Amino acid sequence: MFENGHTQRIDVPRCHVNIAFNGSDKTRIIYMTVAISSKHFIMFGSSGSRVLNVINISYIQSRSKRVWVRKPLGSPMAKSKIFRITPKPVLPEDEKAEIKRLFDNYKNSMKSIRHYFFEQSLKQAESGEVAQMKHRLEDQEHERLMEENRLENEKTAMLREERLKIQAEKTQQNVLASLIKKEGEAKLHEIQIEDFLTKQMSTPFIQAENIEKAIEDALANPVNFNFALDLNGYVYRGKDTSIDTIPEEKRERLNSN
Amino acid sequence: MASALPKFTKIAKVIRLNRHGCTNRPFYHIVVQKTKDNQDGPVIEQVGSFDAMPNNKNEKLVALNFERIQYWLSQGAKLSDPVAQLLGLSGFLPNHPRTIIQAWKNRREPPRERKIEAIKGIAPPLDNPKL
Repeated sequence: MFENGHTQRIDVPRCHVNIAFNGSDKTRIIYMTVAISSKHFIMFGSSGSRVLNVINISYIQSRSKRVWVRKPLGSPMAKSKIFRITPKPVLPEDEKAEIKRLFDNYKNSMKSIRHYFFEQSLKQAESGEVAQMKHRLEDQEHERLMEENRLENEKTAMLREERLKIQAEKTQQNVLASLIKKEGEAKLHEIQIEDFLTKQMSTPFIQAENIEKAIEDALANPVNFNFALDLNGYVYRGKDTSIDTIPEEKRERLNSN
Repeated sequence: MASALPKFTKIAKVIRLNRHGCTNRPFYHIVVQKTKDNQDGPVIEQVGSFDAMPNNKNEKLVALNFERIQYWLSQGAKLSDPVAQLLGLSGFLPNHPRTIIQAWKNRREPPRERKIEAIKGIAPPLDNPKL
């Protein structure tokens, strides 16, 4: 009959009452006590504890306590209250200012006090036994790890040194070899240069002293570059030589290229 | 339907007054709770008490555990107005503006008629021999 989450409307003479039910797994009937009087329409609902998903909840229904429940939103305004105009409390300006000043100062000091308490609690926590033990353990752990790190570094350092030594030897050898090679090359180069120079020197250059002699020689011995070739491969030098003039025995030269 | 997934949002904590006692005889526990919980719901820690009814010697007794209050404030707990006022009067925190405003209002005009006598300062003990 009564289901969860439903609102049941019951008409009682002289006043309307709405009963609301809690949305919960266990159906609970909530009793509405209504003070029926011409002056007041007081809404009270009796249920001590709200149903929440909380562990330490008291499931004991308190029947003595009456909890204030607001008037249902749909219900009309009472007849005695329709034309009521509440007098607004008027405060003088200076009083308002004084009140504001007091509250501002109070809030300011409360804020700082709270902050101070918070800091104090932190300090206390730091100085407590548990915190000290924690610090000690942390320090020990830190030391242990640093030690481990150091050992590891040493190991790797040893390996690194060996590696570097081997590398150094290798590089030394390489360098030596390259130096030797370079020396040899340099020597070769020198020899080559010398040969070249001697060759060049030995070629008959015409210096300033030899010019006249060279000219006279050149004029005296003209070189004729003209020649002719035979199909059989014989060479006939000179411009004006004809085949008939040279006997067969002397025309031995073949193209030897 | 209630939420299928569990809520992981952080719920703020508050130091406020929890009304205990009987009808017409309030007695408050100064208590650390989550804002979402009801007044009579689960309590994280009780941090004091406040008796609103004056005793034989015309005193309203207040008990406060300053160390724990300091701890909870450092953890980000809020204060409700009455608790803040009490702490201000005790000297642990600066005076709440409300106490000052109430004081000058009282000085300006006498408070409205109440059924119970108003206390002006630490008044002398009551004359009733039966108490």
